Amino acid sequence: MSTPASNFNEREHVICQVARLVEEKYIYWVGGGGEPLSAALLAKQVHAPNLQYLTEDGVVGPEPLVPFDPLMTMIASRANYRALQWQTMNYAADVAHLGYVDYGILATLQVDRYGNVNSTVVGKYEGGEGRRFGGPGGADTIAALAWRTILVTDQQKRKFVDRNDFISSPGFLDGPGARERAGLPPGTGPWRVYTPWAMFGYDTDCQLMLQGISPFVTVDQVLEEMSFTPKIAPKLERLEVPTEEELMVLRTRIDVAGQVTDRGRWIENRDGKYVFADR
Amino acid sequence: MALLLYEGLKPIASVEVPVQMRILQEGHAEYFKVDPDGYRAYVREHKPHQMVSKLMTHKEAVEKLVHDGDYIAYDCNYFQRGPSSLIREVIRQKKRRLWICGKFTYVACALLVEGGCADRVDIGFIGFGPWISRAVREKKLTIYEYSNAIMTLRLKAGAMGLPFLPARSFGGTDGFERSGCKLVEDPYTKQPIILVPAINPDVAMIHVHQADEFGNARVFGTGIAHQECALASKRVIVSAEEIVSTDELRRDPSRTSIPHFAVDAVVHAPFGAYPGTVQGYYACDPPGVVEAMGAMYRGDFTEYLNKHVYSVGSHEEYLEKIVGAAKIAEIRRRETIREGYCI
Repeated sequence: MSTPASNFNEREHVICQVARLVEEKYIYWVGGGGEPLSAALLAKQVHAPNLQYLTEDGVVGPEPLVPFDPLMTMIASRANYRALQWQTMNYAADVAHLGYVDYGILATLQVDRYGNVNSTVVGKYEGGEGRRFGGPGGADTIAALAWRTILVTDQQKRKFVDRNDFISSPGFLDGPGARERAGLPPGTGPWRVYTPWAMFGYDTDCQLMLQGISPFVTVDQVLEEMSFTPKIAPKLERLEVPTEEELMVLRTRIDVAGQVTDRGRWIENRDGKYVFADR
Repeated sequence: MALLLYEGLKPIASVEVPVQMRILQEGHAEYFKVDPDGYRAYVREHKPHQMVSKLMTHKEAVEKLVHDGDYIAYDCNYFQRGPSSLIREVIRQKKRRLWICGKFTYVACALLVEGGCADRVDIGFIGFGPWISRAVREKKLTIYEYSNAIMTLRLKAGAMGLPFLPARSFGGTDGFERSGCKLVEDPYTKQPIILVPAINPDVAMIHVHQADEFGNARVFGTGIAHQECALASKRVIVSAEEIVSTDELRRDPSRTSIPHFAVDAVVHAPFGAYPGTVQGYYACDPPGVVEAMGAMYRGDFTEYLNKHVYSVGSHEEYLEKIVGAAKIAEIRRRETIREGYCI
């Protein structure tokens, strides 16, 4: 079943990347929807049945009954089925304050060289000139308190910017020591950024470093879709494509209606090479 | 700091004395007045200390307890065990100038703003769509920036009778600058720490699974901050799927989430969260959810408000004429999970 798939889209690919990071020995606080939750659900179905995660409604370690109705990812019976505990938001924040949350998984509209998260506004904040979004929601608490934070976003120039239009949730802010000066617990912070095309970590100066690349793009293509030039690791990891098994679970059990995954370009295996299907 | 005590010129003891808390950085936004003593006085004077029946209709509760200019909290949202029927009643009664506690809100905030009821919101999260930028541009809406859990912590401070609580999140964000939070030097560890101002909302609306006529209420499953909302707020409207007897509640007191003395009105609101779900009781109505989301994404709520709010005079009429018996039976049937929700 672990056959590499020959047809998949960008969204499915990035969800599989994040899902593969997930391990049973850690506790996760997962953004309540989109790619982060899909990745956790996929991991739980495929390789980590005892995975424990929280969402911001204070559910602890559910065994969710997938698929969910549209938007019913929290405070809903299927999402919260057979949990270890049912609580509320302040309790989830307490657990994170205490240091139990090893990893947070979040999506972001923009990410800058210090891994800061923007979910508030693209463009100018003042006067409603920019395009306004919903706000940090629960992401600020996760990004501040989880030991390590994994971000998911798209590989687009407008999304990888030198400085976010707005910092809704903290990455490394403006460099080493900034989180501690802002009152955040020491030892916490950004860890990875995943896009359908690439994977980034951080250098010791807290700046993004390209560490992995998908087989259907080149380094130059990735760099073209960034507004700044990141550091590049001496040896780049190859991000393996989804397996047939992962896609089967994702498509038939988790995101049946394509609400999360039905976006982005398709990739196919053409003569042993992964290429964009629209090329 | 340590202070040496002297007898003549000879030090005889060292004592710890308080130092002034050092403010390192402050947000610059207006915030709802912090007044724990005022709230205590209000509780003594106005909260229902005696068990009295508070059953009333949606119309009566909103008329009596939601005032123009109020700071309003509601728990959960329009799609998940939120007080959707009460939100529709607030819009129907054309309440004005509300300031919304926008933790974990979504379409509800859009409906209240677009319905002309609210002009300020502390967020949290307020959903998506072109309506937000437009409302800000047209100066119909002022947004103050927090996060969901910072907002629930503010309510917790209010529910504890305290002026503030510390948190180790929110620092360093651009939201902080546009909030009422402060970064101070913690007098114990000397580390920087965020303080969040308490909120004691003027009014809160909370939808629950069960309540008795006095307001003792049970919420099953997860939630956002129903207990904090109830205890922190001056006036509290509880809407309940079921009205149960007090004897029933006394059989399993650990399941009482909200005590009667925090509650000012109890509204019987079966399917009160429609089009949303009440976990264990009924599923959401996906077309109903999509209809509301569609209005939000388009940024045009006229049709939605006409159909779902203004075309009827009450929740009962709404269920009968707009939702209909077949839909009600369907959402009840689709909620197959009962485990953990009923006794």
